[in-house]
Amino acid sequence: MAASARASRIGLPPNVEELEYRRAATGELVSQAVFSALVVLLFFQVGVILFKVLEPLIRAAPGLLGSDLEIEETLTRAIASALTLLAPFVAYGTCGAKMRGLATFDRRRALRVALLAGALVYGIATMGQWVFQVGPFAEKPSLEMSFEQTADGVLITGIVEGGTADEAGLKVGDLIIAIGRAPTDLAGLKERIALSAFESKIGLRIVRDGEEELVPVEVVPVVEVGLAPLIGGLALALFIAGVAVVWPGGLTPYVLMVVIMVPLLIGYLWLVVASFSYRTEGLLPVGAAGEFGGFTLRNWEFLTREGTSSDPSIWRITLNTLVVASLMMVLVLLVSSMAGYALSRMNFPGRRSFLSLTLILHGFPAVTLLIAIFFVLRNIGKVPVVGDYFGFNTRGGIALVMVAFELPLGVWLMKGFFDNIPWDMERSALIDGASRWRTFWQILLPQIRPGILALGIFAFISGWGAYLIPQTYSIGTKTATLAVFISQRTNETAPMNWNELAAIGLFQMIPVFIIFVFAQEYLLNIYAGGTKGGT
Amino acid sequence: MRITLESLTKRFGTVVGVDDITLAVEDGEFVAFLGPSGCGKTTTLLMIAGIYKPTAGTIRFSERVVNQVPPKDRNIGMVFQSYALYPHMTVFGNMSYPLKLKKVSKEEQMLRVQEVADKMGIGDLLDRRPGQLSGGQQQRVALGRALVKQPDVLLFDEPLSNLDARLRLSMRGEIKHLQKELGITAIYVTHDQVEAMTMADRIAVMNRGRLEAFDTPDDLYDRPKTLFIAGFVGNPPMNFLEVEVRQEGDAFYAVNEALRVQVPPQRGEPAARHGRRVILGIRPEDITLSDAGEVKGEVFLVEPLGRDDLLDVHLDAANRLNVLADPAARIRAGDGIALALDMRRVQFFDPQTGQSLLWR
Repeated sequence: MAASARASRIGLPPNVEELEYRRAATGELVSQAVFSALVVLLFFQVGVILFKVLEPLIRAAPGLLGSDLEIEETLTRAIASALTLLAPFVAYGTCGAKMRGLATFDRRRALRVALLAGALVYGIATMGQWVFQVGPFAEKPSLEMSFEQTADGVLITGIVEGGTADEAGLKVGDLIIAIGRAPTDLAGLKERIALSAFESKIGLRIVRDGEEELVPVEVVPVVEVGLAPLIGGLALALFIAGVAVVWPGGLTPYVLMVVIMVPLLIGYLWLVVASFSYRTEGLLPVGAAGEFGGFTLRNWEFLTREGTSSDPSIWRITLNTLVVASLMMVLVLLVSSMAGYALSRMNFPGRRSFLSLTLILHGFPAVTLLIAIFFVLRNIGKVPVVGDYFGFNTRGGIALVMVAFELPLGVWLMKGFFDNIPWDMERSALIDGASRWRTFWQILLPQIRPGILALGIFAFISGWGAYLIPQTYSIGTKTATLAVFISQRTNETAPMNWNELAAIGLFQMIPVFIIFVFAQEYLLNIYAGGTKGGT
Repeated sequence: MRITLESLTKRFGTVVGVDDITLAVEDGEFVAFLGPSGCGKTTTLLMIAGIYKPTAGTIRFSERVVNQVPPKDRNIGMVFQSYALYPHMTVFGNMSYPLKLKKVSKEEQMLRVQEVADKMGIGDLLDRRPGQLSGGQQQRVALGRALVKQPDVLLFDEPLSNLDARLRLSMRGEIKHLQKELGITAIYVTHDQVEAMTMADRIAVMNRGRLEAFDTPDDLYDRPKTLFIAGFVGNPPMNFLEVEVRQEGDAFYAVNEALRVQVPPQRGEPAARHGRRVILGIRPEDITLSDAGEVKGEVFLVEPLGRDDLLDVHLDAANRLNVLADPAARIRAGDGIALALDMRRVQFFDPQTGQSLLWR
């Protein structure tokens, strides 16, 4: 309304779409919405039919491709019925979505039309379900009687005349106490009926006039439609249609994102909860008797435990990890920045092939080299002095191997950052009287500071969390890093305290978390390819 | 300081960047290197700066051969197109950087930077960073940084092409003025001929790595030695027509399918002596609209330039002339007009070699 009033005030014609909406009668709009909804329904049905037709082919597909994997019939059937069940809801949504244009200037009318159309489509869909006996009209297993829970057992309160219960000889007032020999209650009985196949028999143990008796009753298919699910369905249809009209479109990606993220978040949530409780049931911390509560700091006691030669304290392990990660960061930065500069600025034979070789190495799986590197490290260990710091089972050696695997990425990254600095900058520095070395340190490096920071953090984090290399090239616990330490704990033959493990995991996460909070801007830089040299 | 280039050549692999250039820049002279992009002018400049090493030939500063001297020992100042200011340093940091590297004392650094900055009108910006300055201010900082070390030679690599038109005009005057005042030898690379014509004492026109001409602006304009120079210098560019020059009695005539005009003997005679068909060149401003004109044509296109209208006149299918006309004449496309050519200012070129038949 306001928009059109504004438009006429400043002498602009109202937009064409709006005019069309205003001219159209409500009936016309409703039929438009219903029509689109029906198209959606039809589309789904065609999809289901097509799916059914192609079902043998789909199930045979892995076999045709040479796999011995089989797609089970239950899976394809589940997909088909999911499509059938989903269709009406998408149709209701379409009714509402169709009216979003109208809603931008006349929300109440749009809602009216959408609700009307939603109700109509609900009617049509329900009729369809009735004709094809699906959804609420599907046949369900039944004993054709009603019952309720009493203190003694399940009391029969009603029997359909001529029904299967009637035929079996059950009467109103009989008390069901068990199915076969298994005692049951109302919920158990209902579940048993719902899960039974048609024409199978359930042996009900009943008490009549103080006497126990076993009565076999046949399960028959019955279509039972209560008013409640129908009204509930209508309400749901109207709700969906209405929401589709007013739903803020910008929210959709966020909702999808949250839905996808939930499993991840639950994982982290569990980690935190578990580390502060004796044990957990789901996400709830519970005490010894299974009641809510049982918070404790016991799992964090590893922080104060004294180390022994065979079982070093956590701080010794943390120091190992810190040494490996820092060494890795420094070495990666040093080598990458210089190699990146050379590759970006200098012309030497083999430059191109070196670049492509590094790229290949970047994709090279580290696992395949483990044994070869083991021999290399063992031989380095034989070298005096150097071997004590960079040989097998030393922190330096572990860092050295990981640096090697990290370098291809680092070199390429640094080259990219250097490529973005104009040549003139360097020429200017040379003319100003700087040597090439000084130009590198004083002029170029400060300009790729964001890249240096990002790569440094990246190397540190990957060193901090590394598992495969430290696990392979360290023996025992002397040089173990946190990741290796955690893994060693799970391998112990003694019973595992998972909550303590969660606490150690959380402890390992703390620095990473802090770094991410403060440095995510720089880390984003690395993934965006470092488009700016920064100021 | 006098700069001499002797047979200077630079090859990048098989690509020839600069091909056998010989010229001398006198002490205190302002020389412009002019040419289309990719003609080797910046490469030549970078060789003088010491960034590139020449493949062959020598570069002399005064009498000293500097081929192998690194840039930092040449005492040059250079201003780049991108300014190349160091973004992580303040204006003061930028301008004092050359002095710092020369190990000049802190006090003297302050003194000299302040002096140059005041002269450039950026004395109050010293604690800013380049990112906080406008394009014109950055330009001044770059110039100041080049000047503060009191260089023997100033090199400019298209320093004004990133500025807007007005600023470019004023900076042009300022640079010229500064250079004359300080008396520093300057080499200025540009593709903008107006810049070269207005600022330089002499212009070296380069094309495809070769030196086409090295002359004063007036000589380049009035006495072009080659077809390339005639076509490159001047805006709108010179018109070229293929004609034959005949002698009939004492008179000389330039004749082709579309025109027949008399040529003064001092210009017509060398052209007629050439014998074959020659290329006649005439600048748009030397053609006037005149009812008495002997060349007839049809206006094909009118481009308003503001002060003048630029007419594209078709004499016939092959012969076209660009003509400047007064907008008040209200000439429209499709009009038939008569033109008078000022034949005293006409040029003649050999179509094969592109050499001028009038000037050698």
